[in-house]
Amino acid sequence: MSERIRLARRTVLTGLGAALAAPATLRAQSWPTGPIRLIVPFAPGGTTDVMARLVGDRLGPRLGQPVIAENRAGAGATVGSTIAAQAAPDGQTLVMSNIASHGIAPTLYRNIRYDAMRDFVHIALVTRNPSAMVCNPGFAARSLADVVRIAKEKPGSLDFATSGAGSSNHLLGLRFAMAAGITLNHVPYRGAGPAMTDTIAGVVPIMFDGLPSASGHIRAERVRLLATSGAERSPAFPDAPTFKESGFDVVSYQWFGISAPAGTPAAIVDRLNREIREILKDPEVVARFDQLGGGIVDMTPEQYSAFVAEEIAVWAPVVRASGATVE
Amino acid sequence: MLENLLYGFTVAATFQNLSACFIGALLGTAIGVLPGIGPVATISLLLPLTFGMPPTTAIIMLAGIYYGAQYGGSTTSILMNLPGEVSSVITTLDGYQMAKNGQAGPALAVAAIGSFIAGCTATILVAALGPLLTAVALSFGPADYFSLMLLGLIVSAVLSEGNVVKSIGMMVAGVGLGLVGTDVQTGQQRFTFDIPELSDGIGFAPMAMGMFGIAEIIRNLEMPEVREALKTRISRLWLTRDEWKRVAAPIARGTTLGSIVGILPGGGAALSSMGAYTLERRISRNKHLFGKGAIEGVAAPESANNAAAQTSFIPLLTLGIPANAVMALMVGALIIQGIQPGPRMIEAQPDLFWGLIASMWLGNLMLVIINLPMIGMWVRLLKVPYDLMYPAILIFCAIGVYSLNNNSFDVYVTVVFGFLGYLFSKIGCPPAPMLIGFVLGPMMEEHLRRAMLLSRGNPMVFIERPISASLLALAVIAVVAMALPSIRKGKDEALAGG
Repeated sequence: MSERIRLARRTVLTGLGAALAAPATLRAQSWPTGPIRLIVPFAPGGTTDVMARLVGDRLGPRLGQPVIAENRAGAGATVGSTIAAQAAPDGQTLVMSNIASHGIAPTLYRNIRYDAMRDFVHIALVTRNPSAMVCNPGFAARSLADVVRIAKEKPGSLDFATSGAGSSNHLLGLRFAMAAGITLNHVPYRGAGPAMTDTIAGVVPIMFDGLPSASGHIRAERVRLLATSGAERSPAFPDAPTFKESGFDVVSYQWFGISAPAGTPAAIVDRLNREIREILKDPEVVARFDQLGGGIVDMTPEQYSAFVAEEIAVWAPVVRASGATVE
Repeated sequence: MLENLLYGFTVAATFQNLSACFIGALLGTAIGVLPGIGPVATISLLLPLTFGMPPTTAIIMLAGIYYGAQYGGSTTSILMNLPGEVSSVITTLDGYQMAKNGQAGPALAVAAIGSFIAGCTATILVAALGPLLTAVALSFGPADYFSLMLLGLIVSAVLSEGNVVKSIGMMVAGVGLGLVGTDVQTGQQRFTFDIPELSDGIGFAPMAMGMFGIAEIIRNLEMPEVREALKTRISRLWLTRDEWKRVAAPIARGTTLGSIVGILPGGGAALSSMGAYTLERRISRNKHLFGKGAIEGVAAPESANNAAAQTSFIPLLTLGIPANAVMALMVGALIIQGIQPGPRMIEAQPDLFWGLIASMWLGNLMLVIINLPMIGMWVRLLKVPYDLMYPAILIFCAIGVYSLNNNSFDVYVTVVFGFLGYLFSKIGCPPAPMLIGFVLGPMMEEHLRRAMLLSRGNPMVFIERPISASLLALAVIAVVAMALPSIRKGKDEALAGG
């Protein structure tokens, strides 16, 4: 295991050396000049990391150079994204752009050191999944309408758990509360795991969680699914309504894709977009993503860019309303 | 339970996990055998090895490292009178005397056999008690967790070796260091001085490696090299019939005592081996031999510290609360792997829980295999000059820390804490309470604030809940007991006389 990592590291170093030595004006024909580094702004081993590696491992052979995932976790995925924003725009550095670093952080972090639109060229969306609103099985509500009724009967009495302050699920909870005209008291946790533990134990009645991470608990009936946050019902849980059809104008996905530093040549961007979209059609990849709970979306660079811009615009007012800021 | 244990063995007995266990025990022994380096330092130094592994394999390897280090410490204690940590100090008392009397072989053998028997017994206890305690733990709310952690902090300060005021000071400093980073409730940055690398807090691995690993190495470099042991010839690595008779009861008593002490917060290897030795010295038929090379004086504490090493996993695996510095390291390692230890772990990660338990047993078996036939190799390892060995270890550490986040900032953190740890040891401040504070502090804050959030700011919630109230009462009793001069004298005597 450590042998493999050591080898990978040496390749990274060689790759960096080659990238530095290469002439500044790279033509797309000569690209890639060496191993490509894919910055994953999350800790190794998580779902995002697994998905990034699934795509990266298949991208390498198609480009004729290995794609090496480099985990640079920290500060809501902004540490890794900052590094990517400052890297040379020669197609040798890619980053997993995502809802935290490119959708929410632009508004949440006051001292953010990159512009999620201007400092990047967004290449392709890889996957997105809805969130789920779940509750303890003993909780009185069986539907969103019940939750709203209880919240209106005893204002300020309902708590909801999420994986953390400023997370997409925290903000989704606020969006739902705003749309329903109720107040929900946010109880943040350090990650989705402990939040789910307390929801199952009944410490907190309601939780907003990514559907993939909640689905096992929903199937085991440890929590009850109240609604999902997609535009349509989730094929995995066709009985659960969406917020939208229940009359609340809330559609939200957790997503990530692949981006590169701004200024990366268009030919490289197009080539990467083509290859990534091909990979996302590979039945093996589709099956693994299904299993991990991520839906695959087919987008051109223009579409993905527009999608990111739209996300920033959607979340900005919610972040401001939440009062959460990070210096 | 049997079914679960069987499942555990299928997890632990895969080639990957078996090798992880073996390599862990081997490396743990190799580093632990270095004079002056105890289990905490060994685990911190070897922690980075496990970063790239799947969680179950990683924790199995760490457990292997732990047992290996513990046993490696016994080897140097017996052969060279150089204990790596407090629990091995006890082993030197009679173990080194036995070695001087030409009985190094039986001393090493009884340490291995006692540890094995104790380890096996305690493992069964973990398998039986774990799921039971988990059921209780699931009814714990945030207020109860807060009170439990407060109790744990207080008890481990009270029981830690050395000056209590300094221990408490170190613990509070540890809590402070633990609070660096993003506030969980509001997302505010605290004590980060605009350094982005600090926004997720001070890294656990760099901090622990610096404080324990690097600091120990600096301290050891100060001491002149000791080569005395190499003259000792090791014969007969087994016990005679007469020796078996003498050690059977001490092993049983040591195992029982160690198993109980291991579960207590702040308990663990040191306290259990001291307790077991004191008990044997009082009730043994061969009292007069104690301190002069009594085999009972090796058997009892070695069994006790290994039993405690196993049972101290119980609070970690069921409540997610580390009972001592080694378990604090395990929490850190699990969190690095993305696993929050707690009551849901048995259900959510059954392979991890039962695999670990099965590997505890396998690890103990491997220790006997590694140590008895290979003792000659360990002795030879001691001949490698430190000025070759330590730089190699340091480079290995730096690479390990760097590979955690591919970030050189972590290496600087390790260096800073290395010097801090050295400074602390010079002024007599124990680093273990700091590590416990560092791990428990942020968890305590989180549960405190969550409890207050859920009670809408009413602090009575800590007294109204029966579990929380009784834990707080115990904490008060612990503080009062500490303040009473007679009890404190008793503890100091036990620690000094041990």
